[in-house]
Amino acid sequence: MTFDDNLNDHVLAAVANLRTHDVSQRHTDRLRRRCHVVLLAEPGRNLAVDRKHRAPVGRVIGQVLGGAWCLAYLVEIILRAAAAL
Amino acid sequence: MTLSRSAGSRVMTVMDREDERPLVARLRAGETGAFDDVYDAYRSRVFAFLLRMSQSRTVAEDLIDEVWLRLVRHASSLRPDTRMGPWLFTVARNLYWTYRRDWLVEEAFAPDLLTLWPSPPAWPSPFDLAAAGELERRVEMALSTLPPQYREVLLLVAREGLTPTDAAAVCAITPEALRQRLARARAALAQKLEETPAVATLKRGYAT
Repeated sequence: MTFDDNLNDHVLAAVANLRTHDVSQRHTDRLRRRCHVVLLAEPGRNLAVDRKHRAPVGRVIGQVLGGAWCLAYLVEIILRAAAAL
Repeated sequence: MTLSRSAGSRVMTVMDREDERPLVARLRAGETGAFDDVYDAYRSRVFAFLLRMSQSRTVAEDLIDEVWLRLVRHASSLRPDTRMGPWLFTVARNLYWTYRRDWLVEEAFAPDLLTLWPSPPAWPSPFDLAAAGELERRVEMALSTLPPQYREVLLLVAREGLTPTDAAAVCAITPEALRQRLARARAALAQKLEETPAVATLKRGYAT
């Protein structure tokens, strides 16, 4: 049976001619509004993703500042110890 | 956008491939107008598919919500060459099978609990049947008794007008497997209809 045969088949034609169904108008409108909200919020979600990609830069800066503070603290201790001798 | 239906055979193309590309581009950009175009073109078709698969209006209404929410959540990551019909029917079908699998597990492990839960009203309901004509009523009843694997290929190809290649992609099977399944589904439906005196009416009504 080919696809063209299927289209001319009376059993499949009966399925093809079944009526369509839809959700209620109230449900349709509510779902449409809900989807609009999600669709419009999409750029916001992209910003959040961008922020996540930027996070490693923030972590590097934090680690550099922390390391610098520790180094300065260590140098200060050594200098005071040297002065005490 | 075209929609055609002819007696006996039917070729349905809700949106042409060329019409869909700019629409998908607008959807990816987050245009609500593009969403409305897709929603209005496909809402009733996808809902009718889910209704006939789940045989419950309540379940179909829950699943249709999730189909459209998935579309808008994934709108920005749609491929430019996405074809909306196959995409939406794939999501709808996957959601139905997930629902069915969960339902079967619940039924297997907690049958007593399920009896405490009010079951959703069956579809087609007496109201739906009363609204349909005699021929349609018989076809709906016969279709509802088929296994869902048969029901889905009949609905996708015959009712929704998907090509065998697209329907195969939706069902995650090869086009050849789809052709075989469609032939078996058609034979099973014909047999169900033979069990009632409807087949003579069918031949009178649809033979060209």
